[in-house]
Amino acid sequence: MAESASGTLVLERVNTPPAQTWNHLRANDITLTVPVVSRKGDVYFALPRLFESIECGMGGAVTDWIESQASDARYVEVRAGEKREEPIIAESDTGIMVRAGAEATIVVCAPTGGPAQGTTAALVRIIAERGAQVHVLEFVCGDTEQHLESVGIVAGEDARVDVRQFFLGAGTTAAGLAVALDGNRARLDLSCRYLARDNDVLDINHVIRQRGRNTRCDVHESGVLDGHARKALRATIDLVHGSSGSEGAELENVLVLSDDVTNKTMPVILCDEDDVAGNHGASIGSVAPEQIQYLQDRGLTLEEAEQLYVRALFDEALICAPTSETRKAVLARATEILGSETASDLVEGLDLAEKSGPFATTEV
Amino acid sequence: MHDTLLRVSGINAGTEDKPILHDIDLAVGAGETHVLMGPNGAGKSTLGRVIMGDPAYQVNSGTIEFGGEDITDEAADKRSLAGIFLSYQAPVEVPGVPLYSYLRTITQKRPELKMTARKFRARVGEIADQLDMSGSFLTRELNVGFSGGEKKKIEMLQLLLLRPKLAILDETDSGLDVDALSVVSRGIEAYRADCGGALLVITHNTRILERLSVDRTHVMVQGRLVAEGPASLIDDIDAHGFEQFERANASGGDRA
Ligand SMILES: Nc1ncnc2c1ncn2[C@@H]1O[C@H](COP(=O)(O)OP(=O)(O)O)[C@@H](O)[C@H]1O
Ligand SMILES: [Mg+2]
Repeated sequence: MAESASGTLVLERVNTPPAQTWNHLRANDITLTVPVVSRKGDVYFALPRLFESIECGMGGAVTDWIESQASDARYVEVRAGEKREEPIIAESDTGIMVRAGAEATIVVCAPTGGPAQGTTAALVRIIAERGAQVHVLEFVCGDTEQHLESVGIVAGEDARVDVRQFFLGAGTTAAGLAVALDGNRARLDLSCRYLARDNDVLDINHVIRQRGRNTRCDVHESGVLDGHARKALRATIDLVHGSSGSEGAELENVLVLSDDVTNKTMPVILCDEDDVAGNHGASIGSVAPEQIQYLQDRGLTLEEAEQLYVRALFDEALICAPTSETRKAVLARATEILGSETASDLVEGLDLAEKSGPFATTEV
Repeated sequence: MHDTLLRVSGINAGTEDKPILHDIDLAVGAGETHVLMGPNGAGKSTLGRVIMGDPAYQVNSGTIEFGGEDITDEAADKRSLAGIFLSYQAPVEVPGVPLYSYLRTITQKRPELKMTARKFRARVGEIADQLDMSGSFLTRELNVGFSGGEKKKIEMLQLLLLRPKLAILDETDSGLDVDALSVVSRGIEAYRADCGGALLVITHNTRILERLSVDRTHVMVQGRLVAEGPASLIDDIDAHGFEQFERANASGGDRA
């Protein structure tokens, strides 16, 4: 970290993956310039010590910076066995303890407000104790100049964590997620959907540490790149010594709609254990010709077929959005990209989803 | 006499380096049911694709008319909007696109079918019930991870939703178990009853035809239509196979 004169800070080596084998791509990390406000003299409420040791996806420099800038950290605890219905809204610096056997939904929604908002950030640390079920939903649909989102999760024995990320915003989005499957049979399902277009920059770091025995992780990233977008995805599954019987799988599907897109994907499976299975698969490129043909055979032009992939991102984001704030954010962005007719069509669909479950067919 | 809906005249077509179809003439009247049979590799699927307008195949000569318009050079999406539907022998998996978003988009594209999301959902629900499909299909990616039978049901769902004037069903019945087969048959019947559309059924299996009243049967061998006859031709093929036609074709004999 190097402090500059003008109230900004240069954060180097952000979103660094555990193994850096991609020098030739020059995409091992990203460097970000962020604003700093002096908090000298403020009384800062820090999270319990337990949270300090949690690895967060964007790395230590970002954690330090957000902690130094957040007015207060917020600590939320879900009591053992409690099934918390109301989602927990995680903001700039939040630590959440989900006690044994409890269930909770955690929502991270990046603020909107236009490029004038400059830089926004969120730091979220979560502990899922034994048997806990944690659903994490991240929505970045804003139009701020730059958004940083760093998440760290530790999962105990039999804990089940699912994370759904929607990175659909404009400008620069840098997001890191680190999940430690420490307990035996802990499980992670991670779905990451993204859209980057125009001159957007999207930088993602996924780090899954499988430490417990018989842990499972299923990671699926998929998205659409258009215009002059630049995207880097680092995805690491680390099958740590002692994680016997564990399985990890990662798959990315990228749809590239323009020749001016920069798309870098760096998947790594680290393996220090014999009795484990790690899988990586990827399909990169434009939509396969037979897929386009199928869509054209049902009446869509090439552009409409491509736009369908974009609409699908918003349909899914909207279905998953659990609060009016997240829905508003998704819709505002959908209107901007798909136009108001399609966006209002999404709302109509959502209205029904709310009344009768996502897609009930028994309607009158 | 019905109006001719589809008229294929003198079509020679194939891939860039391989001729597949030779001198194909075929006319299907509005609301008629035609059956296309023939051994594997005869060119039946290719004919379906050529009628649909798949650019993987080149039409070297001949014309295709639909509803009185020459569509030989039209793109597939235009043909679809004009009312042609091809149910794939192997429906394509489209990751990244949930079935709901897809169905909604292809329906809204058609002025005559445009409806509110509410009505649309009710309609899809109705069809899904008709086809013994669970509504949870709708949030899953199009055709991804579905069984063969489920994929065919999704094709039928689209058939009933889009209400085309002509449906080409390419081995919609192959590889289905008895239950799925009866569901798909019901779907085809519903299409006939609700939409009154014409059918060109490509099949090896006479079961799917039991509940349809067939107007014409065509036999294709080695890229040529070698025989055409009434529904009873199906029973003949069922009993004796394609050898008679293959022999006739090989000896360059008269094409009935
Ligand atoms: N896209 C293609 N590229 C190369 N050969 C093809 C292609 N499509 C079909 N063929 C060939 O054309 C012939 C007819 O195939 P097809 O139409 O699938 O037959 P059918 O449906 O009657 O079994 C076969 O020999 C097949 O291998
Ligand atoms: Mg075939």
